[in-house]
Amino acid sequence: MEGDARGSRIALVAAELVNPPPGGLDALGVLDAAGWGVMQLPAAWYDDEVAAPLLEQIAEQVDEFARHGYDIVQVGDRAGLAEALAALGHEPPPAIHAPRDAAELQAFLQSRPTTAPR
Amino acid sequence: MARPMPDAPPVTMADRATGASILESVAQVAFVAHCLLNQNAKVDGGARCPGVYSPLVEVLRERGWELEQMPCPELAFTGLNRFWAVREQLDTLAYRRHCARIASAVAGAVAARVARGDEVVLIGLEGSPSMGVRVTSSDPARGGRPEWPDGAPELTPGRGILVEELLAELERRGVPAPRAGGVTHVLPGHDPAVERDALLAVLDG
Repeated sequence: MEGDARGSRIALVAAELVNPPPGGLDALGVLDAAGWGVMQLPAAWYDDEVAAPLLEQIAEQVDEFARHGYDIVQVGDRAGLAEALAALGHEPPPAIHAPRDAAELQAFLQSRPTTAPR
Repeated sequence: MARPMPDAPPVTMADRATGASILESVAQVAFVAHCLLNQNAKVDGGARCPGVYSPLVEVLRERGWELEQMPCPELAFTGLNRFWAVREQLDTLAYRRHCARIASAVAGAVAARVARGDEVVLIGLEGSPSMGVRVTSSDPARGGRPEWPDGAPELTPGRGILVEELLAELERRGVPAPRAGGVTHVLPGHDPAVERDALLAVLDG
């Protein structure tokens, strides 16, 4: 393994925090500035029929990152995520469910321990 | 290595946006390759930045486009310790089935967006055996012990496997194929300004 620029930290992020309304919390901007990768959760308005297959894919990818020791957190919520993770034997990751502002999200990210991927 | 936290709060989408509000009834939505928001999904040695490929996000937000991230087909199939690969190494029945399952999931989201009148584009990763839109990678002779000379000419015009499966699934569902382009940061001679202009051409139609 030669290594590269990856941060080895990944946030599962509610779609509404990736695409915020004007004046809303830009979680994607906060995570980008802090060097975190983003796994975007399905939009809240998607029917279960649309969201479930996407959540299944997200859970499979979380499984691979977790297997290698990447730090994974959750920012915001998405119905069905916990069930998709549980189907693969995973607990929901540490989460900040409703960050009030960028400072609160930054503090949450900074509270995470340093990762040591394998 | 993650970048340090900035002292100032990050620029918000509202600060960046110059176009119409994304909350208007008809949205513009870019379905983007997974790694463009999460470089951790890249094959080892391939990540260009810690997490988010900012140049793409900036272009999309300047034009008022929402982002929708597609799953990475290679990550879940061959894992984080996978070797760099060309199309022929991945193009098996099992991988096609895997990509078809992802394509079905993405097509469901595209169809839901199109059904409510949203404008959709597809942003892949040029040079990728899975996510290339106009450039993929090909070398029919590659295999065995993973050693080959730098600069081997595997880049070739064509689509990646997931992009092929997604366009086929959309056609089966009767959903018009979206305009599509790709980020070029893995191609030799990558020019950020050229990449930006090409992305704008896709977004502006």
